[in-house]
Amino acid sequence: MTTIRVWFTKTGEASYISHLDLQRVMGRAMRRAGLPVWYSLGFNPHIYITFALPLSLGQESEVESVDFKTESDPAQLDFEAMAKALTEALPRGIDVVKIYPADTDATRIASARYQIRVPGDWTAALAAYNAAAEAAVEKKTKRGVKTLNLKDTVPAIESWLRDGETCFVLTLPAGSTGLNLNPSLILGWLEQHHGLPASAAHVLRSAIYLENGAKFLG
Amino acid sequence: MFDEKLKAALAAVQKPGRYTGGEPGCVYKDKAELDLRFAFCFPDTYEVGMSFLGMKILYELLNQNPRWWCERAFMPWVDMKAEMEKRSIPLYCLESKDPLTAFDVVGFTLQYELSYTNILAMLDMAGIPLRAADRGEEWPLVVAGGPCVCNAEPLADFIDMMMLGEGEEQLPAVCELVCKAKAEKWEKKRLLRAMADIPGCYVPSLYDVQYNEDGTIRAVQPLDGVPAVVKKAIIRDMDSQPLPTHFVVPMIGAVHDRAQIEVLRGCVRGCRFCQAGFLYRPMRQRSADKLNQAARDLCGNTGYDEVSLTSLSTSDHSQLEPLLDELLEWTPGEHVNISLPSLRIDNFSESLIAKTTKVRKSGLTFAPEAGTQRLRDVINKNVTWDEIEKSCRIAFDAGYTSVKLYFMMGLPTETLEDIEGIAETAQKIVDLYYKNPDRPKGKGAQVTISVACFVPKPHTPFQFWPQDTKEMLEEKQKHLIHSVKSRKITVRYHDSKTSFLEAVFAKGDRRLGRVLEEAYRRGCYFDGWDDQFHYDTWLEVFRDLGVDMAFYANRAIPTDEITPWDHLYYGVDKRYLVSEYEKAMQAQTTPPCNRKCSGCGANKLLGGACFDYDQSMVHEDR
Repeated sequence: MTTIRVWFTKTGEASYISHLDLQRVMGRAMRRAGLPVWYSLGFNPHIYITFALPLSLGQESEVESVDFKTESDPAQLDFEAMAKALTEALPRGIDVVKIYPADTDATRIASARYQIRVPGDWTAALAAYNAAAEAAVEKKTKRGVKTLNLKDTVPAIESWLRDGETCFVLTLPAGSTGLNLNPSLILGWLEQHHGLPASAAHVLRSAIYLENGAKFLG
Repeated sequence: MFDEKLKAALAAVQKPGRYTGGEPGCVYKDKAELDLRFAFCFPDTYEVGMSFLGMKILYELLNQNPRWWCERAFMPWVDMKAEMEKRSIPLYCLESKDPLTAFDVVGFTLQYELSYTNILAMLDMAGIPLRAADRGEEWPLVVAGGPCVCNAEPLADFIDMMMLGEGEEQLPAVCELVCKAKAEKWEKKRLLRAMADIPGCYVPSLYDVQYNEDGTIRAVQPLDGVPAVVKKAIIRDMDSQPLPTHFVVPMIGAVHDRAQIEVLRGCVRGCRFCQAGFLYRPMRQRSADKLNQAARDLCGNTGYDEVSLTSLSTSDHSQLEPLLDELLEWTPGEHVNISLPSLRIDNFSESLIAKTTKVRKSGLTFAPEAGTQRLRDVINKNVTWDEIEKSCRIAFDAGYTSVKLYFMMGLPTETLEDIEGIAETAQKIVDLYYKNPDRPKGKGAQVTISVACFVPKPHTPFQFWPQDTKEMLEEKQKHLIHSVKSRKITVRYHDSKTSFLEAVFAKGDRRLGRVLEEAYRRGCYFDGWDDQFHYDTWLEVFRDLGVDMAFYANRAIPTDEITPWDHLYYGVDKRYLVSEYEKAMQAQTTPPCNRKCSGCGANKLLGGACFDYDQSMVHEDR
């Protein structure tokens, strides 16, 4: 049994597919594309797939990935043809970049990079963030709500203006172990304290990194 | 038009996936290449609409024409409606994101009376004037189809044209006429007059309704030479119509999110309360080979892992078991489950259950509809206790532990004894389970009885019968609860207020148009959703406009009275409805029409006998 990784993008309309729905969409697309996926055993066999790092509803990404298992010999598989067939079977906005035997363990993911654009000039808001001694937000976790100081993780944010939008890049801790920080927490703080329109912000996940700084995909 | 305004609205609502489109199977076309743009509007949520097979059939059919583009619109949920209004986003179709005003035809499907206000809401959200008389040449043509068109008189003021019957041939004919009218620059008036000549097309404005002083109808006068009676469109040979094999596959879970194969249309049973059973006569079935092939293609194209054999009564298909055998040749290998949603309790066989349990075991659902044999005879639900017992025993032997039973309350001639019969029926099933020595260890039986309030519907023998008042229904509900003794039995019942309003609009006439409009103006929409239903507002509107709800719902209609729907003909003669009504009062039954023709008149739609009676389509008693 080999684990195969599908690297895909999630943009435009597809950014409104929730993580739960994406599991169903991906499973059906794999069936439609005729991928040699392994089914779990038991009375109700189903496709066994795992996503590396869930993406929030409304955010876009260039670096999503899902793993499936196969009993086929990877040397015999035509990954390019599979990628093409799977892209055709997926909804608009989800494009397969590459399919390949998984080379790294998704549990090693340590951080993710986000490119953020907000309509209007919000450099003053970001300057205020940089100047603040503390930026406390409430983060909901499975164990309840806890307060977090964003400045501990992101001491300063460098921003610039382009085409009437305020742009900045955030690299935030991510992964299945340890702290996981969603860019919406920082956008939410900026909205709450400085009126930045968080719901109008465009968030694109552009890279995922391992603990040693190497890229998880690509 | 996937613009910043829309993105901001989507960021603020629950389930934005309802409003984005882009699902696998979505059809996109180049607007420059089109002769016709059709907005198929479903006046309920995305999840409900995407479960509806009729939309899938017509979407695929219209889009087969390279010069037509059929797109979809649904009623936005309350949060999205507010966001769209706040940001001045007009109601749009999901594929192009263009507003409804960009379309030639805006077509609604009428599935449920309590979605009528949603139609007004959708027109309003698109900025389209609600009343047909207020829409000049510049507005899209607003049309409607679906079962409620059999008496959508309350919507007569708002809809330009309604389509009775089956749309597979009729809707393309309508679209062709619209294209011709566009090319030749006809006025809307001329187009509508020409449409009235297409089978099943009903232009309400070309019929003048006159009333008597007591509020009943004196006459319905056809104008401008249109047919006095509009006859529904029908597909004579179901095998001539390919099944849809390219569903748009919703990404957020729809209510029925699976491949659906329509095995037959119509129903042979003749249950006297069932509107669908009368509207879709005669029953016509598809051949097993075509169904099997379509199921396989559909699963392949959609990636669905469940295929449902849908119809009003799937087990009445004469080739059901051969069909299941064909399906079972490939479904296990493809990891596809088969589900049979409409099984009849009286021909539920061991081999049938063996075939479905090969794939998946879930709860069983039966619909005895009434609690005593007398009342089942009245409604012509030809099911006996022995058959119920036999089916349940087979099911329990096969390992099923939960049974769900559907009943109705408020049926004609019903007494409290019949209500007690519902509880007794459920109790006898529980007892049956515990008598089975092979029942699974440690698993208790669970019998759920779900009780709906009976709503008399047009074009059925019970159209003449007055609905029970809300008070009567509530009293009966209480009596049922008291009659249930076992904790193994769960009782669910429907809100009688909803059923009352449903009856008013089901049997309503054109004078209810202003009631609908006023109720919508006062904030009524999504009336079919309990949490959005404002019963008190409805009562106020009826009172303020001086319209008596009981006149429509709780009044017995003399069999010789002209009903608002007498000029809409679905193939069943009114004299037949009257004779069935009279038989019901005597508790006399009528056999299924593939066993013996009872002369309802629907055979004339096919131009011959409905069935080859030598090759009995009725299952032998197994």
